[in-house]
This record gives sequence, structure tokens and C-alpha cells, in this order.
Amino acid sequence: MKKEKLILSFIATLFGLLVAGVLFYLFQATKTITPNNTKTISFVSPTPTSIPSVFLTVDRPKDEDVVTSKILVISGRSTSNAVIIIMTDSFEDVITPSGSGDFSTTVSINDGQNIVEIIAIAPNGESATIKKTVTYSQEEF
Amino acid sequence: MKKKSFLFLLLVISYSLLVGTAQAATPTPVDKIQEIRNQLITNIASRVAQLKLVEKRGIIGKVTDVTNTQIVVTDLQNNTRFVDVDELTKFSSPTFKGTYGISDITKDTTIGVLGLYNKESRRILARFVNVITTPFITHGGVAKIDSENFSINITTEEGKQMSVDIEKLTRTYSYTQNSGYLRSGFSKIKENYNIIIGGVIDTKDKSKVIATRLIFFPEIPASPKVNSMLEHVQK
Repeated sequence: MKKEKLILSFIATLFGLLVAGVLFYLFQATKTITPNNTKTISFVSPTPTSIPSVFLTVDRPKDEDVVTSKILVISGRSTSNAVIIIMTDSFEDVITPSGSGDFSTTVSINDGQNIVEIIAIAPNGESATIKKTVTYSQEEF
Repeated sequence: MKKKSFLFLLLVISYSLLVGTAQAATPTPVDKIQEIRNQLITNIASRVAQLKLVEKRGIIGKVTDVTNTQIVVTDLQNNTRFVDVDELTKFSSPTFKGTYGISDITKDTTIGVLGLYNKESRRILARFVNVITTPFITHGGVAKIDSENFSINITTEEGKQMSVDIEKLTRTYSYTQNSGYLRSGFSKIKENYNIIIGGVIDTKDKSKVIATRLIFFPEIPASPKVNSMLEHVQK
């Protein structure tokens, strides 16, 4: 008896769901949308920003480094056809990176704080600049 | 008899238990060494952590605020930096005669700070504070040449117009792919050349630079950004 009741209620639920589904489909199919209620969505493709023709990364020295030698190694990476200019308070040099874009050189620095400016210039004139502060000190504290 | 042997057994067991606990309570030399070792490891670990937390650093910045114990500066990357000063901090200025102290530091002064940087608090405990003058370096394109007055007008990447005075002492260099980095002269500079100037800004006219050195690149034109501004200036 209990089993029969269970089966019957299950069938009734299924039937109810089926009827509701059919009714919902019919309602959606007959529904009309007025032009006033419609919205046009347009996707604007983003304007591509021009990729700079030169990049520059400096591995050494680290910014705000305190060093105990007046000879400073400067190394990093840039575009292989770029020209690298290194300028300190009293020194300037122009070098070219290797085929892989790596560059390395040594510069001399003064006592105390020094600003080391590294500039990479591409053949079309575009440039990238990195400034580092390097302090020469032998003080113990 | 049974009772006696039971009592004897109880006595033996309690004695062995007593001896065992007594031995456990008294530290042996091996335990002491272990304890010292653990203490040393803890001390070294905390010292290493302390050392890693603080490191020597040197910064350059323009003073924005100054109190008796603190200087606030804007560094080269335009970040606000907090500098703590204490009784061990030494102050100096190349132009100042006599004792120089924190009370002599004014707003807009460019200072170099050498001290201990705390990575956690991001503050520098200054050990040396010096008033410095930073070199002026700019990069742009040659807009106009004034051969009579030995000066050139340049347009920088930021769109600034600057007049550059070339003195007898100005070190002039050129760079080309074939010749490399060479000593050159004012007469070799042409309009639209890519140029880097190092020098000092005229105190009376901020748009005027007295060049101490310059490097120009005959094979490299001014950057496209500068070029559009150059055309406007040359017209």
C-alpha cells in the first residue's frame, strides 16, 4: 500500500513538472518584444597600443645599494640593436648590447651618493631610461 | 611467607621507580650540551632574522617635511620616504661653515641619506645626512641651433623646451655605428639629432641649461614623440 502511494506521488510530480515545462515553453514562444524594449549591444574592439621598440632592464647595481668599491659593474638587458648610454655624476659611456641583448660594463663612481642613469635608444629614436642611486661608503654602522 | 615475598617485591619495585625518577630529574652532561646547543641555535636564528630585516641603504631625495626626529623626502622615483634621525646621525653640507644639524635642513633641499633600512617598517634610520647637488641629465631632440651664441634648443621627451648653452669646457661627443664613441664639436650638431645633455640648470632661468657634457647621435633621429613636437617648434 505504502509502495503504491510512493509511486503514485512520484508519477504525479513528474506529470506536474512536464505540464509546467510545456506551459512555460508555450508562453515564451508566443511572447513578443516591442522594439522599444530591445537594446543593441555593440562590442568595441580595443584600440591596440603601440608596443615600444625598446626595452631596458638593469640587473646590477640594485637601486639604493651601498658599495665599498669605486668601480661599479652595470649589467642588464635591452633590445639587441639599441645603443646603451651610461651616465654618472662624472662619467659617461656608450656601449652596444650583444646579439642576445645583454650588456655589461664598469663605471667609476664618487664618494657618497651617485645617480647612475642608464638610457637605451632604439634606431628609430625611442628610448627607455632607468635611474639608480648607488652610495659609495666604507663607514661601519 | 607469601606476605613477606610480596612485601619484598613491592619494596624492590618502589625502589627502582624512585631511582628512575631521580635519574630523570638530574640532567646529565649530555643533556646540558643539548640545551646549550638549542639556545645557541635560537639566538643565531633570531640574530640572522634581525640582520636580514635591516640593511644598509643610500637614498637621494627632496625634503618635503622636517621635524626634530624625522625627515620626509620624495625620492628619485617620486616615492615618499620616511627618514628617522637620532643622536648618532651626522649631518653635513658642502656650503655650510660650522656645525650643521637637522634644524638647518629646509624644505626643497636635496639630501643624500645613508642609513639602516628596516624592511618591515620601510623607514631608514639615518646615520649620515648630506646636502647634495644632483647632476641634471636630459634627453631629447635638437630643435634649433644658434651658431652665433653657441647654444641649441632642445625638445625633451616630456615635451619641454630647453635652451642649452655650450661652453668651451663642455665635453662634446658623438656616437655612430662605424666610428663608435668619439670626441666631437658644436659644429657637427644638426637639427633633429637625438641628443643627451648633462649639466646644471641656470638658477635665474629654469629653462636654460649650461651643458658640461653632451652626446649626440647623427644616425639616430629624435624619438617619434619628440619629432612631432619638433616639427611644431621648427614651424
